[in-house]
Amino acid sequence: MKRLLWGAALALAACSKGAGRTGASNDLLIVGYDREPDTMNRYATHILEDIQSCVIEGLVTTDERMDAIPVLAAELPSLANGGVVLRPDGGMDVIWKLRPGVTWHDGHSHTSADVKFTADAMIKGDWKPESTDGFDRISSVETPDSLTAVVHYKEVYAPYLMQFLRGTLPKHLLEGRDIDKATDYNRSPMGTGPYRVAEWKTGEYVLLEKAPNYWRGTETPKINRILFRFLSNTTTRINQLKAGEVHLVPLVPWDKVRELKAVPSVRLNQVLGNGYEHVTLNQRHFPPFADLRVRRALAHAIDRELLVRTILDGLVTTVNGPIQPLSWAYEPKVATYAFDPAKAKALLDDAGWTIGADGIRMKGGRPLSFTIITQAGFAIRENVAQALQKQFKDIGVATQVKLLDGTSISPVWFSGEFDAMLHWWQQGADPEITTFFAADKIPPAGRNIDYLDDAQLTKLLYASDRTVDRAQRRELLRQVQIRVAELVPELFLYNTSKIDAVPATLTGFKGNPSNAGPFWNVHEWNLTSAEP
Amino acid sequence: MSGVLSFAARRALQVVPLLLIVSLLIFALVHAAPGGPLSLYLDNPNVRPEDIERLRGQMGLDQPLPAQYVAWLRAFVAGDWGYSYADGRPVMDRLLERVPATLQLVGISTLVAVIAAIVVGLLSSAHRGFDRATTIAAVAGISLPVFWLGLVLQLVFSNALGWLPSSGRSSFGGTDWLDRVAHLVLPATVLAAAHAAAWSRYLRTSMQQALREPFITGARSRGVSERRIITRHALRNALLPFVTVVLLDASMMASGAVVTESVFAWPGVGGLFTEALAKRDYTVLMAFLMCGSVAVAVLNLVADVAVHALDPRTRGES
Amino acid sequence: MIAMPRAGRRTAQVAATGLVLLVFLAVLAPYVAPYGVDTIDLAHRRAAPSPLHWFGTDELGRDVLTRVLFGARISLAIGLVSAALSAAIGVTVGAMAGYFGGATDAFLMRATDAMLSVPRLPLLMIAAAVLAPGVPLLIVLVGAAGWMETARVVRAEVQSITTRDFVAAARALGGTATRVLLRHVVPGVVPTAAVSMTLAVGRGILLESALSFFGVGVQPPAASWGNMLYQAQTTMSSEPWLALFPGAFIFGTVLCCNVLGDSPSVGSRDPRTGV
Repeated sequence: MKRLLWGAALALAACSKGAGRTGASNDLLIVGYDREPDTMNRYATHILEDIQSCVIEGLVTTDERMDAIPVLAAELPSLANGGVVLRPDGGMDVIWKLRPGVTWHDGHSHTSADVKFTADAMIKGDWKPESTDGFDRISSVETPDSLTAVVHYKEVYAPYLMQFLRGTLPKHLLEGRDIDKATDYNRSPMGTGPYRVAEWKTGEYVLLEKAPNYWRGTETPKINRILFRFLSNTTTRINQLKAGEVHLVPLVPWDKVRELKAVPSVRLNQVLGNGYEHVTLNQRHFPPFADLRVRRALAHAIDRELLVRTILDGLVTTVNGPIQPLSWAYEPKVATYAFDPAKAKALLDDAGWTIGADGIRMKGGRPLSFTIITQAGFAIRENVAQALQKQFKDIGVATQVKLLDGTSISPVWFSGEFDAMLHWWQQGADPEITTFFAADKIPPAGRNIDYLDDAQLTKLLYASDRTVDRAQRRELLRQVQIRVAELVPELFLYNTSKIDAVPATLTGFKGNPSNAGPFWNVHEWNLTSAEP
Repeated sequence: MSGVLSFAARRALQVVPLLLIVSLLIFALVHAAPGGPLSLYLDNPNVRPEDIERLRGQMGLDQPLPAQYVAWLRAFVAGDWGYSYADGRPVMDRLLERVPATLQLVGISTLVAVIAAIVVGLLSSAHRGFDRATTIAAVAGISLPVFWLGLVLQLVFSNALGWLPSSGRSSFGGTDWLDRVAHLVLPATVLAAAHAAAWSRYLRTSMQQALREPFITGARSRGVSERRIITRHALRNALLPFVTVVLLDASMMASGAVVTESVFAWPGVGGLFTEALAKRDYTVLMAFLMCGSVAVAVLNLVADVAVHALDPRTRGES
Repeated sequence: MIAMPRAGRRTAQVAATGLVLLVFLAVLAPYVAPYGVDTIDLAHRRAAPSPLHWFGTDELGRDVLTRVLFGARISLAIGLVSAALSAAIGVTVGAMAGYFGGATDAFLMRATDAMLSVPRLPLLMIAAAVLAPGVPLLIVLVGAAGWMETARVVRAEVQSITTRDFVAAARALGGTATRVLLRHVVPGVVPTAAVSMTLAVGRGILLESALSFFGVGVQPPAASWGNMLYQAQTTMSSEPWLALFPGAFIFGTVLCCNVLGDSPSVGSRDPRTGV
């Protein structure tokens, strides 16, 4: 009987061997996705908008080099083409020319009324949008004709191009309704994009199917169906990719890359990221950080090249400031802090921190000892934190590592109740960094959780935000970056490069460094041939 | 028969205070969270302090704790389990839509474990040598960390050998039963393993007791074959307490399902629990624990009543 | 009821020796471990087991054997102390219920049933997530979640003891309840409680590992067997030794506890693990 059972198991195994392992083809692409969306409404979701962006298109998006490109807009409004007008009262107008011939999936035309409806809904804010960034500076929207929307800003707003990155809300569907409770829209949104939601099986997957009469032509998109399977466990996700049960995994954690390098059916696509891993030094909660010499000493104590070469498997590059190399505003010539423990020690000696009995530096009877918090569940981050702990110890600085889970870490940083934090910010495509460094942007007003208070930097930041001319703005942001590097308010580690694992047979995939996500050009993707 | 009914009614009444204690425990636990149920909203810089106050009022969090407890309990009993913080959908919907997957996994696992336990239990009460081996194997089975077993089986059968899918309930579009069964094999094995081990030990012990009963000796002396004695007489006697043990282990099954569903990405209630835990989705967590406790309490009640109804000794009383 | 076979006794001896050895190694970890517990060696990370590193090295080049030994301190401490706590609560509750009977018994047993009907692991996961406990609080949580089985068997034992003559005599002679309980009843339940506690040690270790596996138990950089597994799960296929050794130690330890506690005299129920 035992033999019989065993035989049955073998037969089952043999039959199931092929099950669920059809290669990626233009009929079906299966994506292993790390989380289920909370809502398909792009303006309300708290997670990356990868699935949504296949359905709902923005007026613009940003490409693999982080350059803005028009999608539902016919062109990018700028000072040069008259699309941006600075008003004498200090405000500004942005004139969006919409692409003609675009229809919603139900056949309704996409018009300027939808743009106005979106802005009004965001300004009114009587529902739960994720962020009202920028919309809070809009006074009104006018629609002189069906393809022109004029957005009146109360003040000059430099990042205006990204205002409608998340697209528009369909007026004909949502007008007069409570958007939070519009379950039909929030589960299967009306969009203009290449796909629409065919099925959302909660807890399992979202299936997208090719939308009819896509405005780019009936030849696009080439892939008929895209299935997003929710696999929150990283190991599971990667195992399924290796087994061919899923075909594409966006944002592969760096420590999983080496496992995938040997998988022939998978190609790894790497782009620079638009974020940077760093250690925030909270000057308010741990006053010794307010001393520039201490901050510089810590910067010199870190062997970033070693961290990158070992823990990061060489997959990222070190950076020296908050604006990342892909940005048009990036300034490479800033102060840098090479790994130099001797110099670090000298700086601390100079600042009055002398080695105490247990090898830890003391000043006025207090030890130079602080806690680094970081988010639990990220092996790399836990490892980097522990490596930093060792490198700081080598210059006589004691640190404790404390891991907090994703939900409980937010109130902690938001209330400023921490000494130092290892983390990264995902930034928008626009190089605005005022919210991270301006003196008045400490929480709850912004995210200056370094609690940095530098008048010169604050002035430069606000000036850059109110400058629309790109050359002038670049010069201001250049000075900002130089100043930030001088002040070293946080310890800059490395760029968060983005690696997507895609089928080897996929063409047209370009990746994306910003929040626009790798699906921004999904209409161009093509799977040349199914694998055997 | 009326004796059984009144017994069932009496026991059912006892379940009520039990569930009250459970609800109090769960309520106290969740409200011990630093920042309380609203801490999630601090995450979002766009939520203003006045919004938090408004939500606090809406959710009744400005009331004294006992009042909050009564309000929550009343709503819960009425079927109003509140909304998930994570996606704003009714908690009951979120739980109910995942129940079938969990029932399938737990049901099949229980079936597998029961069959395995009976086979092993029978064989080990018949053969001494087999008994020694299974004793060791059973204790080993109980001692294995479930998630570790899951990871190892995944590694061997899915990654290394490629025989079985590593996770999920079915391949997309895989409607044929073979695909579903293939997906069930590993999680069901993992969930069944510890229970099969424990239950086979239990069955073996009660079989050995039964085999020493006078009526068995009598049967033996009448020349009834050993095989028949074991399968017909001893097993029949040992089966009732065995079934009650299976029912009483429902709570363990629930714990096991949480782990197994997480390891194998099984889209059931246990998976929802771990997800809700990561997001501190308190309404979902409270509803999960309450439902789990009610289910366990009811199954235990069924076990009690079954014993009472079928046990010849209690039956004689009524 | 059933005498243990001779082979069973020998197995129990092996198990006991194994446990004692493990506790010994854990206590002496700072002296016997070949490397420092937090000694990071990035040049030799993810090294496979070798004569230099018997159990290999982890993502930071730390010696896995060393971490397993230091992990034993935390895992065993959680297992042993939480079991002692469970036993203390369980014996108190069980003895009171069995001795006083009546309303006390009814109330205590309802509470025991209530605790038993809440799925244990999810309850502990929520408690650990909410309270973000350090090791001491974790011990309390695991202990507080594991006393019910002991309470039940102790109650049954006490009920049978109190009917015996010497207890009745002591009561008749006017001994206070506390005195009678402590002098005559509690000593009688020691064997039962001891067995029950042995099983609770294994259960506690399994619970710690499961909590840590879900990231709500012992937090790194401290090492416990559970959180070593938690960290190793992402590299199961490339560096299996990182998961193999802590897993094997959990398994071995729990196995020893269960072998020791696996005596049919415990009662009708079999040892049940928590996970």
